[in-house]
Amino acid sequence: MNDQVMSPEQRAANLKGMGCARKRVEDVRFTQGKGRYVDDIKLDGMLFGDFVRSPYAHARVVSVDTSEAMKVPGVVAVLTAQDLAPLGLHWMPTLAGDRQMVLADGKVLFQGQEVAFVVASDRYAAADAVEKVVVEYEELPVVVDPFKALEPDAPVLREDLEGKMTGAHGPRRHHNHIFTWEQGDKDATEAVLAGADVVAEEMVYYHRTHPSPLETCGCVAAMDKVTGKLTLYGTFQAPHAIRTVVSLISGLAEHNIRVISPDIGGGFGNKVGAYSGYVCSVVASIVTGKPVKWVEDRMENLMSTAFARDYWMHGKIAATKEGKITGLWCHTTADHGGFDACADPTKFPAGFMNICTGSYDIPTAYLAVDGVYTNKAPGGVAYRCSFRVTEAAYFIERMIEVLAIKLGMDAAELRRINFIRKDQFPYQSALGWEYDSGDYHTAWEKALNAVGYDALRKEQAQRLEDFKAGKTRKLIGIGLTHFTEIVGAGPVKNCDILGLGMFDSCEIRIHPTGSAIARLGTISQGQGHATTFAQILASEIGIPADNITVEEGDTDTAPYGLGTYGSRSTPVAGAATAMAGRKIRAKAQMIAAWLLEVHDDDVEFDVDRFVVKGAPERFKTMKEIAFAAYNQAIPGLEPGLEAVSYYDPPNMTYPFGAYICVMEIDVDTGVHEVRQFYALDDCGTRINPMVIEGQIHGGATEGYAIAMGQEIAYDDMGNHKSATLMDFFIPTSWETPTYQTDFTVTPSPHHPIGAKGVGESPNVGSVPCFSNAVHDAFRPFGLTQSHMPHDQWRIWKIANDLGLHG
Amino acid sequence: MELKDEIRIPASKQVVYDALNDPEVLKACIPGCEELIQHSPTELEAKVVLKVGPVKARFTGVVTLDQAGAPDRFGLSGEGKGGAAGFAKGGAEVTLTEDGDGTILRYDARAEVGGKLAQLGSRLIQGTAQKLSAAFFEKFAATVTADAEA
Repeated sequence: MNDQVMSPEQRAANLKGMGCARKRVEDVRFTQGKGRYVDDIKLDGMLFGDFVRSPYAHARVVSVDTSEAMKVPGVVAVLTAQDLAPLGLHWMPTLAGDRQMVLADGKVLFQGQEVAFVVASDRYAAADAVEKVVVEYEELPVVVDPFKALEPDAPVLREDLEGKMTGAHGPRRHHNHIFTWEQGDKDATEAVLAGADVVAEEMVYYHRTHPSPLETCGCVAAMDKVTGKLTLYGTFQAPHAIRTVVSLISGLAEHNIRVISPDIGGGFGNKVGAYSGYVCSVVASIVTGKPVKWVEDRMENLMSTAFARDYWMHGKIAATKEGKITGLWCHTTADHGGFDACADPTKFPAGFMNICTGSYDIPTAYLAVDGVYTNKAPGGVAYRCSFRVTEAAYFIERMIEVLAIKLGMDAAELRRINFIRKDQFPYQSALGWEYDSGDYHTAWEKALNAVGYDALRKEQAQRLEDFKAGKTRKLIGIGLTHFTEIVGAGPVKNCDILGLGMFDSCEIRIHPTGSAIARLGTISQGQGHATTFAQILASEIGIPADNITVEEGDTDTAPYGLGTYGSRSTPVAGAATAMAGRKIRAKAQMIAAWLLEVHDDDVEFDVDRFVVKGAPERFKTMKEIAFAAYNQAIPGLEPGLEAVSYYDPPNMTYPFGAYICVMEIDVDTGVHEVRQFYALDDCGTRINPMVIEGQIHGGATEGYAIAMGQEIAYDDMGNHKSATLMDFFIPTSWETPTYQTDFTVTPSPHHPIGAKGVGESPNVGSVPCFSNAVHDAFRPFGLTQSHMPHDQWRIWKIANDLGLHG
Repeated sequence: MELKDEIRIPASKQVVYDALNDPEVLKACIPGCEELIQHSPTELEAKVVLKVGPVKARFTGVVTLDQAGAPDRFGLSGEGKGGAAGFAKGGAEVTLTEDGDGTILRYDARAEVGGKLAQLGSRLIQGTAQKLSAAFFEKFAATVTADAEA
């Protein structure tokens, strides 16, 4: 069948554009072991770096003796803070406006902190030499509790900040205090709380955890002394930003730095920040003139590169006795560890925590966040969520449950009567956001019907009777969540990181034979950009997705962009892609009109071609137009068919979803079983349903891990108690629940294709859903709040504390 | 971490007490002990190779003895550093009670470990410590008994 006789639907299907469950083009490579990751990069004469790390959480570094290490065969250099100091590189700026030691400068602030960097001809020699570096420490008192850190006589952690009572985000009121961030109306909220029918109050802790991507962080720095050009390969989620930061820190001109993010084995926020390993590798390469590779091992990853969460959220929620919420108050104590290395937009030191009014029409609200230093690893990244959104969602979804208990109401009904109504969008929240679109009631009803909510509650009640009658030892918990995300950072007017505006970009070149290459400022870490961005373009420019190469991650070729995290790729770079595609189409229209000898306005786009209006048999396909663009002399038009778009989004996007979990809990053993997990996501326009489903499975599994077992724990001495996968829970196929996915579609009104982003929704939504299921099982026995992770022991302890063990 | 146990040694209290203060005996009995140097009657320096789970390291440390209350009690405290493997510190209170022609040795030890040892070995460390202390006292009892019989 040729072009002439195919229906528009057939032609559209051939494009594999938006809406098509196109198989991931990346997987041909990945499933055959042909991916190229940082550790696969091997350059001639390459050296290897390894860190000497502090065994102490807080200690003075009295001396570092590298003489024995230098004697290990193959060792080329051992760098210490003293070596970096003359270059001004012993400290580096963090993304949060703080500064962080590259190598221990006089003291260490967390266990696993980098003290010296050994460079050797192979990885084993480097590891051997690490053991030979003799560091003399003088122990200092350790503080791992953020509340104790703020006591008047708490040990001073950051001596470098002594006397500085103003930080990057305003006044500091204590030597371990970083910032206070306030949003909303404090007085009005307190007045609402004082006069409310009902106020529920709770401390909700979202424990410290870690993104722990399959591939750990690493880089290869290669300084070419002949050309003066530094090539830096790394696991960077934001390669362009890294280039700018490296230029600013090192003084190397930006055009002499080429940053390449090759295939990345998962990021989840862990690979956004700048780490000591990058700085030391670059310095070592400049000093030795040889490429230097540094790749952290799993323990180093869990111990030293960015953690996530660790928010103590004290909440008060006010309502009428009928359950209409009138006010929300939240004070958060944020444990940032030894340095403030959060990866948040500059003006948002607690990220978008002010989305904590969630899906609800809450007229009055107040949020304050205090950032605190402790003797723990730095970080605070958005682990598969937009900045601090999962904390916010967990907080509000727990507070709703706590309020439901206080009111004696069904939690599904309490949500329903408080949702922002469809006709209220665009909705201005009390904490400063403008929600773009949503239809929460429709999603909620669909979800409740899908699981048979009323029948489930009846079954649960019957089970409770049986339990009380001694017929069973298993309870049923029904976990509910309706979350609203805020993603796609963001508008340059209020979103930047280190002064870099958070736009993104796409550049398209159409080849003469009608295929194309698109380059973007983002970088896939497994999201399938090469698949989905080609689909956006296929629909926009009428070239089959299979004929479009998508390339990212090389700063010498890709247009500048702020990278991939916070579900910003589709909302920002996806928009840039559509806009660049439309520029291509505009020029193609002129070419088609010239070829068809009609006026520009007399042709219109039809799937993969321009047709003369009213005469669809007269057309030029995009393939023909592409060839003409290069090979026909068209009056008034330059040859070629290319476009670039830099997209500054007018607003964030607000994906949402309704999740329901049914869990069976064995009261005597603490063992749980997820009987059903239903996830309805509304991410606006759906580009690839299969990729969306994959994202939801992945994110929900991470959420399951976080809620049910995964944590970064420290003992009182600041020992990291979960630095291996023996202690740090990563679910295998054995533990992973089965997911049932569903959707509604409420397009974003301001996004060129209406898409909102979905990669992080399942982590944001599933954590409160699992946690609420555990709480719900014990609600009849008086449980209001029990902190995550709900591992077997902790669930057993809930039952034990409630006296259910007889 | 706390370790408590008691063991009966078929030797007189004074013999047991003296053995506890004898660097040669201690060196022979401490599992993995490579070197034990007495700097003063109450100060010892030790080099011990320890293996906890996947971590094996040579610890060097200083042990201080507390001889007040001899021969009914004996105290010791110490700190050992194992470089990249981490560190340990702790102490023990030992009491000796006559039991016919033997002596009951009771010990009450506490230890804190840090660094890689604590991270990797946290699940194993209690068991390992119990095994090591049992090995020490078994050997100690055997040595003292042999000496007493000789």
